[in-house]
Order: sequence, then structure tokens, then C-alpha cells
Amino acid sequence: MSESAGGWVGVALPLKEDARLVAGRGRFLDDLGRPHLLHAAMLRSPHAHARIVRLDASAAAAVPGVLAVLTGAEAAARSGPIRPLIPTTAAVPDHCLAVDRVRYVGEPVAAVAAVDRATAEDALERIRVEYEPLPAVVDPEAAMRADSPLLYPALGTNVVWHDTLTYGDVDGALTRADGVLRERFTIQRYASTPLETFGALAEYDAGTDAFEFWTNDQRPGLTISILAASLGVPQSRIRLHCPDIGGAFGNKRRPAYLLVCALLARAAGRPVKWIEDRIENLTALMHACNGIMDVELGYRADGTLLALSVRDVADEGKNLLTPTQHNLIKLGNIANGYRIPAVRYEAWSVLTNKCPSGANRGIGKPFMCFAIERAMALLARRLGLDPAELRRRNYVTADQMPYTTPPGAQYDSGDYPATLERALERFDYARWRAEQARARAEGRLLGIGIASSVEPAGTNLASYELVTGRRAASGSAEAAMVRVEPDGHVRVSLGDPSSGQGYETVVAQIVADELGVTPEAVSVARGFDSATTPWLYLSGNYSNKFSVTDVGAVVGAAARVRAKLLRIAAHRLEIDVADLELRDGAAVVRGAPDRRLAIAELARTAYADVLGLPPGVDPGLEAHHIHQNPLAQPVDADRRVRSQLVFANAAHCCLVEIDPRTGSITLRKYVVVHDCGRELNPLIVEGMVHGSTVHGIGAALLEEFRYDETGQLLTSTFMDYLKPTAADVPTIEVDRLEHPSPVTPLGAKGVGEGGSIPGPAAVANAVEDALAHLGVVVRSLPITPEQVWRWLRET
Amino acid sequence: MTTPGAPPAPAERLRVRFTVNGRPVEHEVEARRSLADFLREDLALTGTHVGCEHGVCGACTVLVDGRSARSCLLLAVQLEGARVTTIEGLTPPDGLSPLQEAFRACHAMQCGFCTPGMIVASTELLAATPTPDEAGIREALAGNLCMCTGYVNIVRAVERAAARLAVPAR
Repeated sequence: MSESAGGWVGVALPLKEDARLVAGRGRFLDDLGRPHLLHAAMLRSPHAHARIVRLDASAAAAVPGVLAVLTGAEAAARSGPIRPLIPTTAAVPDHCLAVDRVRYVGEPVAAVAAVDRATAEDALERIRVEYEPLPAVVDPEAAMRADSPLLYPALGTNVVWHDTLTYGDVDGALTRADGVLRERFTIQRYASTPLETFGALAEYDAGTDAFEFWTNDQRPGLTISILAASLGVPQSRIRLHCPDIGGAFGNKRRPAYLLVCALLARAAGRPVKWIEDRIENLTALMHACNGIMDVELGYRADGTLLALSVRDVADEGKNLLTPTQHNLIKLGNIANGYRIPAVRYEAWSVLTNKCPSGANRGIGKPFMCFAIERAMALLARRLGLDPAELRRRNYVTADQMPYTTPPGAQYDSGDYPATLERALERFDYARWRAEQARARAEGRLLGIGIASSVEPAGTNLASYELVTGRRAASGSAEAAMVRVEPDGHVRVSLGDPSSGQGYETVVAQIVADELGVTPEAVSVARGFDSATTPWLYLSGNYSNKFSVTDVGAVVGAAARVRAKLLRIAAHRLEIDVADLELRDGAAVVRGAPDRRLAIAELARTAYADVLGLPPGVDPGLEAHHIHQNPLAQPVDADRRVRSQLVFANAAHCCLVEIDPRTGSITLRKYVVVHDCGRELNPLIVEGMVHGSTVHGIGAALLEEFRYDETGQLLTSTFMDYLKPTAADVPTIEVDRLEHPSPVTPLGAKGVGEGGSIPGPAAVANAVEDALAHLGVVVRSLPITPEQVWRWLRET
Repeated sequence: MTTPGAPPAPAERLRVRFTVNGRPVEHEVEARRSLADFLREDLALTGTHVGCEHGVCGACTVLVDGRSARSCLLLAVQLEGARVTTIEGLTPPDGLSPLQEAFRACHAMQCGFCTPGMIVASTELLAATPTPDEAGIREALAGNLCMCTGYVNIVRAVERAAARLAVPAR
């Protein structure tokens, strides 16, 4: 790699971390050990809803090799309830193990720590639990009824939040409209299921009354706060590390399990590791909310959209940690990329006897996009317009940027019509429309699907004020540290632990440009360590936030170090700071490149020869910076809020072929054109686009957590919860536009959620397009071959 | 009655001998110990990852006598006399193999958890079919789940490696 004057940002640099990962030299949670380590296993509820009449774990405690047993009652006696992200109205005590009642199949009721996992699992079989089954409520609309069984009788309802937010004259616009499209769409429960399951290793130091954790929890800031509060120790006596994380996608945040490990470790006097198995993962870690959306779309005869009214029911399962997030996070973007002047959003957040819902790639927005883009497809057909043309007539356009949506989100930049045009061009839309007609004449079923979406990034927790009526946490921020070591090499740490996003490389590229060094001279710490990483309550790997807050933190910290390097160099060279630049690993006099001081020499001054520093300059070359994105603001008087901050966009165009005999669906072509602003490392960006799009395809065609009416999960292994394989998906063809964000430090936008948002809609639109002549309307996912076969038989 | 904290009652242990990455191993193991756990826990070969423990995800794939196998579905005691190769055995002492280099150049991974299994499965494919087409690669890797990449760059990496390896060394 050649030395250069900056220019590393934007380069498709192969990843530093890939060199270890490709050799199996990553260091994941289950690769870690500690002296005298014990292994935990958990006993889980077989009932969706039941009272725990009696629980006797004494026989388990007597099993040779068992060092600690923890029941729900003991957990409640030894630790406080888990504090939710935001205290919503449903704040009832929520302990790390079920205490007197279980509320979903798979809820943990007891845990054992033993010398090895097999022994711990053997001991679970000795625990006797007597349950009194209670009626379970599985359907969210049933849970909303007054006579429904209640998860928490103390609340008097299963409804966490119900409110109607109206922006503009929706009723007037619907009345004046030439027509109103009314449809009901539903989405299933699914999850990204990172290949590495969740887990934790906890160690208790009785001498200092301190806890140390190693975990793949992707949101350490929140988790440390919860652990300290529940364990009753100050946060200063909790240390938490994240090693390499084997994928996360929002799924890996379950502080309850860390708490179980901590209580077992304290009881046993030995460190305890727990690694979730796949059945536990699919049954009990988290699912994206299933949901119901009733959409009313008012339009003029020419296709101009006038008003959107949405009733959105989010089925939270037993989620007390982050309820209402699926609602709040789609509020601002509920009209997707369209200019709709009047918007009404009726929110329902409802508890049921199912696995807790949680964050999953795109949180809520895949459903937003599925409903809106399906409605657009249906409206185009109703009006006899090409679906691309209907979209063209309604997009927010480039000259309207920045555009504020009626609920208050700000779309910062982009050219949505141009994105779609590029996708149609790359797809060769006209040719495939002709081919489709030809194939139809031969009895073959081809379908073309178009979907476009906005892709928000960064979360502003102030939006929860809409639910609770008062502000608890708010804003959007992240922290970073940059340090030039005494030998001149650079070390960086970030409050956001990577889970596959290549931060060790892209952050090194950013810092290399700021400090005039190469990325090899910059070591970015793997993962997270609360003792050495600056962090906030908001710190973590979530919400597509890297470009919104993290980049600013890194740039800010590097800029401080840069300023100090230049000041020291100016003093030593007896020259003005303005006449110096950092390049090629040195402070160089502009126009006189031979006059220079290497960064290593400046570092020697800063750390060792401190009398050589300019007057008033402290020794050392280390800076912390916290970047707060200024777009995050409180809820305004009209209940408008930016619940998310920076908006990328994309258009997907895909081709399916359906086998009329079997109903099987083959994706023959898939084109993505996206615009995530400035691409910091195109290799990483393109990978994110591929992967997120396949998540969308999985949700469209394969994946579903399916419950029976009693609340039993029917899809709890990878043999029945189906993931896309290499043979199920085509090559995702990617092209890009690049409209930098005016509101992020380097112009980058979010790209991690990417294709997970428009993917389900694009595939659904394609399948329906293949079958529309038979009267088929796709209203739910996944679209299975069995479903298609039934449609073909019924028509 | 036994004392809590005492070692577990001795489960049935069997002696097993085979080679791992060319080195002979001889161990007494519980009959129920999986090959995956044996490799990771007893031999500290943690490059083999465990993703589902029910034989679907392919993260734990190793070569047994040159053929790919799910180490989560094999018991260590079944391996008597076998030749086992793991990701550690496919990695040169210095640097990376051509297949690994291709994976890195193509960024054919994100979190990297599936990658060792992908390398093992691709090794088997290229040994049998030195120049596979795209459909052949997708078919051969259909037993290995990757949750991050959408497989695009993995397919590219195998194609790239095949092209490089196909050039006869002169």
C-alpha cells in the first residue's frame, strides 16, 4: 500500500478483520474461557401461559458437578427487575427468570451452573415444576378485546399503547379524493437469526464486589445500565467486554440472560458462561413483531396521492424491554418516499403470549414498505397505470429536499425518481415486460416486482415521549477515542461494537485521512470494553447509526489529536500552524516537504520529552469525542418528531417465475439501486446491500415463526424455520447513486438495514404480478409454494 | 448422596484415536461428546464454529477423510482411525491459502462466523470440480448458511479461487 496524502475514505479497501476471520482466528464469545469456568443451562416453560404453582430445584442442586441453581423466586430476591429502555406505561416488574407466571413458550424459569454444559442440562431434568395452565392469547386483535386473558392483570389491559396521531386534514382529503384504496396487510414474525447465537460470560469478584461480563450483546450502553440497577452495584463496578460478534441485526440484546449468569457466578463463586442453543434462540430470544396494517390511501384520478390513513397493530409478544419501538420507528416514514400531504397513524402496541419482540434489521420499516408498496401496486392496477409511472407521479423530488414529512421526519437528500429510473434501466424493464407477455402466451408465469423505500438511520429516543408523555432518554450520540501511542502508531476505540460491519477497517480509513497516515498505522479496537472505550447510555451497534453518530465521534476525536500534533509541530519547527499539514505520517511544511517532523517524533515529544511541548499544552496525544447529531430534537407542539434522522433510499426490481404445476417460486433476476450518500468503503457497502436484500427475500418467501392457537411455536429449528441458502437466491445486481447527506460529518448515510426494507415488498409485488390475471392479491407473507398452489387451484 | 461441587459421576468414557490436521490424537472422551465439542473444548481448535447443533447451518463443517461432514452430528468416538481436517489445517503456517485470499479479496464474509465452514465446503468442491460454474457453486454451498452476505461475494470468491488455482503452475 502506497503512502498517500489522505484519500482513504471511499476506497474499497479489503478488510483487516477478514484476514483473521477467513482463517478461523476470530475470537467469538464461545471461544473465550476463564479459570474455573462453569457452564449454564436454562429450564424453560412448555406453556404459553401458566401459573407456576410449585418449583422444586433441590434435586438439581444435588447433582454432582452442579455448583449453583437459580429459580425465578431466588432471582427476584437477589436482583431488581430489568429496567426497560424507556419506562412505558407498561412498566411492571420484569425479572430475569419467570417468578410466579410464565407468559410464552420458552420463557426461562430456572437456571443451573455446572462443571460442563452436559451436566447442567442433565440437572435441569431434575427440576420439578408444577404449572396451572391459563388461557393464552396469541392473536393481537383478540388481546385488544376487553374480555381477553391478560398477561399482566395488574395493568388491566394487554394494550401498551394506543393513540391516533393526525397530521393535516386526513378526513377532508379522503372525502374529496376521487377514490380511496382500502386494504388490510399482515406481516409474520421473523428474525435475522445471526449465525452465532446469543450468550454471556459473567465473573464476580467478591473482594471488590464487582462484576465483569463478556458478551455478544450489541447494545452495551443500555445493558450496563440495566445490569447495574438490577444487581444493585454502581456502574463503576461493572465491566463489560464484547469480543468479535457473529452477526447481530438487532437481535442480540437480552440483558436478562447476563443477569442470570451474574447471579449464578456470584452464588457459585466461579465464572459462568451461557451460550444459547439454536432452539432457545428461535423460541425465546426475540422475534420481529408480527402485525396488522389497515391502509386507506386517498388519490386523484391521475394517481396523485392525497391522504394516507394507517391503523397499525404491533404484536409485541411478552416484550417489556422495548415495546412501542415498532410503532414509533415507522411513524416519520409511514408514507415511504411519497409526497402525501395528510397522514394519520393509529398505533396499537399489544402484549400477547408469544416470544418477546425486539429489534430486527429495519425494525417495522419492512412492514411499512410492504404495506405501502403493495398499496401502490394495487392502485396502479386499479388506475391502469404502470407501477413505475404511479411512483414517478408521487415521489418526493430532488428539488424538494430537504423534505419534512407530515409526522416530522426530515428526508435530507437524494433523488428518488432517478433511483427508480436507474433500477428500471439496469433491470431492462421494457424488455422484461415484453418477455413477460410472451411467456404468458406460452402458459408461463413471469412476474416483475418494483419496490422503493427510504432507509432511515439513527434513533432519537425522545420519540418515546409520544407514548409516556414525558422525556426519559433522548437524542442520538456516540463516543470515540483516538490516541497516538508513544511510538506514533494510532489506536482507536468506539462505543459501537462491530458485528460484521468492518469498523476496524472503515474507522481506520477515516482516521488515516484525518491524521495523514495509512490505515495500517491505525489499530481499531475489536469490539468493546467499558473500561477502555468511551461510551454512553446510547452506545451500541443498532439503528443503522454508524454514519449518523459514530463517524462524527471518530472524526471529532481525530480532529482534536490532529490539532495537537500540528500545534506541537509548529512549536518545534517555529512556524505557524496554518503552514503545516499532516501527510505521509508526518507534519510537513506546505511547499517545503523536506521540513517535516514524523508523527512518531511528535509522539516522543508528547509523552517522553514533555518539556519540548509548547507552553500551555498538556502532555499526551489522546482525545475523546462524543458526537451528538443535531437533528435529534424533542417532540414539538404538533406531536411531530424526528424518530429517525438521516435517510438513504433504494429501488428494487426483481423477476420471478412461478411453476404452475407446483407453485414453486424462482427468483430469476434481482436488481438493487441504492443511494446511501458518500460510501466510506464500497466493499463493505455492497456487502451490506447483498445481505440485507437476501434478508428481505427470506422474509418474503421462507421465514415464519408460526404459532398454533395455544401459543406453541411450530417452527423452532432450522428444519422448519427456513433460511435462504445459496441455491435459493440469485446474484443481487447492485448499482448506486451518491447524494451525500448534508447532515453527517462525511456525507454518509445508513446502509445496514438496506434491502431488508424494500425486499419483501419487491418480491411480493413480483409474485402478485405473475398471478394478478388470476385475481390474486398478496396480503401476507411469507408466500409459500403451498399458498401459490392453492391460489392456482382456486382460480 | 453426593456433595455439590464434586466431580460428576463418571459417564462412560471411551478411548479414541484419529488424526486431526495431520497430528495423531488419542483421548478418552464421553460417548456423548460431539466431534465439534471435542475439537473446540478438548483440542482448543475454536475455528470450527457451532451454529445450530442440528445439522442444518453448516458452520461446524470439517473434512473427514476428505469429505465434508457436520461435526455437530458426529460423535468423537465415531472417528476412530479417521483423518479430520479443520479450518486450522487448511490455513498455511504463514499467510493464507489461495481460497482464503480469494475470500478476503472479495469480502466474502461479514461477521465471519460461517466462514470456516464455507472454506471447508469450498475446499471439497474445488477438489472434486476445479472449475465449477455459478450454479454448481451455489448447489455445493447450499448446506452452509450465511446470514450476512447474501452469498454473492462467497460465490465470487470461489470463482476467483478456481480461476487462480486452474492456472497450472509452471
